[in-house]
Amino acid sequence: MTGNRFHLGIDVGGTFTDAVLICEETGRIDTAKVPSTPADPSIGFMAAVARALENGAVDPGAISHLVHGTTVATNSLIEGKTPKTAFVTTEGFGDMLEIARQVRPSLYDVHFEKLRPLVPRDLCFEVPERLDAAGGVLKPLDEDAVREIAAALRGQEVRSVAVCLLHGYANPVHEERVAKILREEDPELLISLSSSVCPEFREYFRASTCVINACIVPVVARYLAGIEEGLGRAGLEAELLVMQSNGGVLTAEQAAGKPVFMVESGPAAGVVSANFIAGRLGHADLISFDMGGTTAKAGLVLDGRPRVTKEYEVGAQAQPGQGMTRAAGYPIRTPVIDLVEVGAGGGSLAWVDAGGGLRVGPRSAGADPGPICYGRGGTEPTITDANLVLGRLNPDYFLGGEMPLDVEAAAAGIRERCAEPLGLDPVEAANGIIEIANATMINALRLVTVRRGNDPRELTMVAFGGAGPLHANRLCMEMRIPTLVVPPSPGTASALGLLVTDLRHEFSRTRVTAADAADAAHVRSLFERMEEEGRRTLRREGVAAADMEFRRGIEMRYAGQSSEVAVTLPGEATHDRAVGGMDAATLADAVRRFHAEHERAYGHGYPEEPVELVNFTVTAIGRIARPRLPRIGSNGKGISDAQRGTRRVFFSDAGGFVETAIHDRALLRAGHVVAGPAVIEEVDSTTLLHAGYRAEVDEFGNLLVSPGGAP
Amino acid sequence: MPQPESRAGGAVDPVLFEVIRNALVEATEEMSVTLQRTAYSTNIKTRLDYSCAFVDAEGRMIAQAFCQPAHLVTIGRLVPRAVAEYEAEHGKGTLGPGDGLLVNDPHRQASHLNDVFLIAPVFREGELVGYVANCCHHVDVGGGAPASIGAFREIYQEGIILPVVKLFDGGELVDDVLKLMLANVRAKKEVAGDLRAQHAANEIGLRRLSALWERYGAELLGSYMDRMIEYSERRLRAELAELPRGEFAAEGCLDDDGITGEPVHLKVRIRFDGSTARFDFTGTDPQRAAPMNCNLTQCFTACVYVLKCLVDPDIPLNEGFYRPIEVVAPEGSAVNVRPPAGVVGGWEVAMRLCDIMFRALADPMPERVPAGTKGMICHVGFGGEDPATGEYYCFLETLAGGYGGRHDADGPDAVQTHIQNTQNAPIEETELNYPVRIHEYSLVPDSEGAGRRRGGLALCREYEFVGHEPTFTTLADRARFPAHGLHGGCDGKVASYRLISGGEARELGSKATVQLATGDRVRIETAGGGGFGPAHERDPEAVLRDAREGKISRARARDAYGVAIKPGAWEVDLAETRRLRE
Repeated sequence: MTGNRFHLGIDVGGTFTDAVLICEETGRIDTAKVPSTPADPSIGFMAAVARALENGAVDPGAISHLVHGTTVATNSLIEGKTPKTAFVTTEGFGDMLEIARQVRPSLYDVHFEKLRPLVPRDLCFEVPERLDAAGGVLKPLDEDAVREIAAALRGQEVRSVAVCLLHGYANPVHEERVAKILREEDPELLISLSSSVCPEFREYFRASTCVINACIVPVVARYLAGIEEGLGRAGLEAELLVMQSNGGVLTAEQAAGKPVFMVESGPAAGVVSANFIAGRLGHADLISFDMGGTTAKAGLVLDGRPRVTKEYEVGAQAQPGQGMTRAAGYPIRTPVIDLVEVGAGGGSLAWVDAGGGLRVGPRSAGADPGPICYGRGGTEPTITDANLVLGRLNPDYFLGGEMPLDVEAAAAGIRERCAEPLGLDPVEAANGIIEIANATMINALRLVTVRRGNDPRELTMVAFGGAGPLHANRLCMEMRIPTLVVPPSPGTASALGLLVTDLRHEFSRTRVTAADAADAAHVRSLFERMEEEGRRTLRREGVAAADMEFRRGIEMRYAGQSSEVAVTLPGEATHDRAVGGMDAATLADAVRRFHAEHERAYGHGYPEEPVELVNFTVTAIGRIARPRLPRIGSNGKGISDAQRGTRRVFFSDAGGFVETAIHDRALLRAGHVVAGPAVIEEVDSTTLLHAGYRAEVDEFGNLLVSPGGAP
Repeated sequence: MPQPESRAGGAVDPVLFEVIRNALVEATEEMSVTLQRTAYSTNIKTRLDYSCAFVDAEGRMIAQAFCQPAHLVTIGRLVPRAVAEYEAEHGKGTLGPGDGLLVNDPHRQASHLNDVFLIAPVFREGELVGYVANCCHHVDVGGGAPASIGAFREIYQEGIILPVVKLFDGGELVDDVLKLMLANVRAKKEVAGDLRAQHAANEIGLRRLSALWERYGAELLGSYMDRMIEYSERRLRAELAELPRGEFAAEGCLDDDGITGEPVHLKVRIRFDGSTARFDFTGTDPQRAAPMNCNLTQCFTACVYVLKCLVDPDIPLNEGFYRPIEVVAPEGSAVNVRPPAGVVGGWEVAMRLCDIMFRALADPMPERVPAGTKGMICHVGFGGEDPATGEYYCFLETLAGGYGGRHDADGPDAVQTHIQNTQNAPIEETELNYPVRIHEYSLVPDSEGAGRRRGGLALCREYEFVGHEPTFTTLADRARFPAHGLHGGCDGKVASYRLISGGEARELGSKATVQLATGDRVRIETAGGGGFGPAHERDPEAVLRDAREGKISRARARDAYGVAIKPGAWEVDLAETRRLRE
């Protein structure tokens, strides 16, 4: 193995930590799956590294590229395990976090609770100072008051401070001065400035973003430092990169300073992976569908770029039918790959409600006790139990046979909890559970497609996660999605995303400007300043000039609206070419495209209405070479070798159990075509193929599922 | 156990039932998102003061999006009535595809004039399937003061009245109607933009529902909608069977009617008999020639809201939920107003009814009922000529307050209550768009009703205006009668509405319209929530935490809760506390 270089991706999830190891030269892939260690995730991390190196028989020094995806940042928030943090704001507004949005997360519930602020009121400080909306100083900063805050913080064990002053997005002068004074008084303090973390208007959202950053800075910095130390001890010298919520990666050093950018690091990797897998097949518009143990996540990629949102709440799971944020979580305004997450995973519970309705999720049996069929003490039926009862899962080949499943117990649980109360037989009830779960997932898919004006008939679905391939074919039928791609090893496909992305930094500035009064030269210099910042950052990360790329965007709205629509500007700049064209014509073209985007998203555009430019954004990208992935080739044989006999599997379209061919995916080769109905089993997942569909194996080992029969 | 179908009836598949129910709600949610994203006024796009629903061809409420509880009964009540009136005038079948009916008249059972409804029939292959409708609180509909709130005697002073008229006819905008409406309102751009958003939302709803009808067919959907209604009704009746039976009464007062200074007395008797809920408001004051009257729809809304809070929150809210509810509201009273009285304060009345109804139920259901809340909508409106643009601008917002203590939890601080759940307008956005400066936005310490579980703190907001002299209105309440405590808990602090001019402060009262001078400030402190249980039973550590966080003063800890805190330390003085509490 000497001489070969390897890329290693480590994805720390709630239940498992996955590793993917790819040989740069040969493209060979090795994977590893170890239990996560929530008390100290770095233990699971290092175990996954060790297992992957062992599986691949690779020397630690051969790792040239190391990327990490993690939910550590989010978990510490959700579990309330963040260190003491202080908040500094303008006099008169110290209750910003307490008041929040002044609304209840549930409407008809007198027992609701308002979200607990991440900073208690006695650690929220006010300083006399005031800017106006244009950034002009109305009242100078009272510097003595800042020193008094520093004095008050001593002895409070506060390590981290968030500073968010009113209109600080328009002018950072007072925030920066506050930081300087606080550092003079206590050089150990970690300080997050809203003008640096998220320089956009709407104070509560900016403050919330900044506070979350401040709360997790100590946790994430310590965690990453611990991992780097462990890697050093293990002889891995490659620089540690960390996946961001926007799908790009940053060096660990950068990530440690702005950890709020990595709250959805893990799930983002899945979308990136789907994009990579579909991209190799020439599909640029796709839905990423990731169904694991507790939730299913749907994401959208258009024109090869994952859709990114800036409306995200940490700790608030999306529900099907959720129209908008409901103040159930802590909002952040940093770019997050747009995912709709619904409570429909293998472990989601099914029950009959008081009115006799069959319900599924979002409550979950989790990994412990897990579904009834795991035999680990679960008593409530889950989606996995239903799939087992319907013959879709092989009780003797779950996780490659490591965990035998108890069909009888699953059937008994479904009979008792669901079937009998409804007067159904257990199979009907199990099928009902699957249908309802599918309906929930369809709502999630609708949220990312039709609701945003995207026609599913023009999209490709990439399905992964342990449970994704079981349901995906049916979802595609319902949504009329013409092509489904099931990558090899769906259970670890998400981690692959870590190794197929770029360094990525996002910059934005709020400058609300009437489109017809916008000065192109001014806009250009705004972009250029952000690009210069991006260039400096990338240079520090060791990116060669030729590998740099910058993308400009403007978020616009009709003058008077509050929701912006993002428009990407054409003419992507590279390191040395001053980006062309930012002149009146470029702006006019951008405005034209805004009208079109608005119409696409909301059914109407109003070309006669005045338009405002609101946020100007630059994405600075440092390209990283993609590993070459292996091709499986054909073996010149038919698929009979891959067939493992038959089993009775329930199909609702057939109205009952059908004797169904079972295939071993490991034995399928390029060019093989499996006709539905069929089940294709592999170590970490099972693909269900319906009648009227065929799955063709491509040279990368993907299953390409589309309507049609046997060859 | 009841089921969505009787197997004997044989027609309903429990799975399809759940799937269709979700899909219908989803269609209204999509309307909701569209409306918010495309709206122009802060009140809708940011504060979310709007709602969307789907009503079937028979006028039955079927599905509604998560939004303002206040609007949701209204849509279901208004749509059949508006359609019937239009067809009575123009002939049955005169509504066709692409039509949109505009209505805001409270005396036709809309709500107040600001709430403008747009109703569009949904057709599928020539057959009427139902109606999509939405309701938006427009920032201005004309009338006597900017934002169309204020204390007037008659509906005619409150703004433009839209009977049932077509704003869209066969897909085309009826320009004359729009022109007439815009000529009567102050914030023309916002109103026009919001109307466009209302139209866009209905269009999205139309598309989604058409697709559903295409997928499942009219017959099947019709039968499933019947079952959904039956399902909600059955579940509600099952819950009613479990509620304590008997008649429970309470009463309360609004500060004044806005014109005379006389309090408005509200009375309710609630009767649960095991399968129905009867709300009888006999004894409530006669209506006033003033704004503090609500119509029957608004009164009904409050009753539905309260009942919904007492039962499983999971029961879908549709026509079936309304069936077991009977409302007795004497016509010509403050809770069932006749023309030409003003109605702009109708939601203020309905909001207070919620507090009073919960109070009636406090003894039979102590664990399910909160103490008194801020108990008002608390409208704040202002407008004038923007010195930067020379255009007339209007702004409306509503301020939160304290929630009531519950048997096992404190009342949350600074939150919207009951039928209202509108967000706050970000200060930065407000200052960027309007010539106003907010000087303070904070909790009001010591404003909670003390109790074993304390009430929530009130909210303070202080305004100053830049470079012009606007008209400023509050249409609110609770300056005289506080949020009630329960089971030995104390009342919350009352609200205050103060004008600070030339260094002097004077109370404006809860309903006032004033012309401000440059440099004037208005400072509003809303009401705190009532406490639950005796304050001396409150855990001293909870009192200490509130004191350390500055939510209550040390003096209040001692005086109201009997908790002594050691001087110069954040530690309870146990011996002294024991002595104080003896």
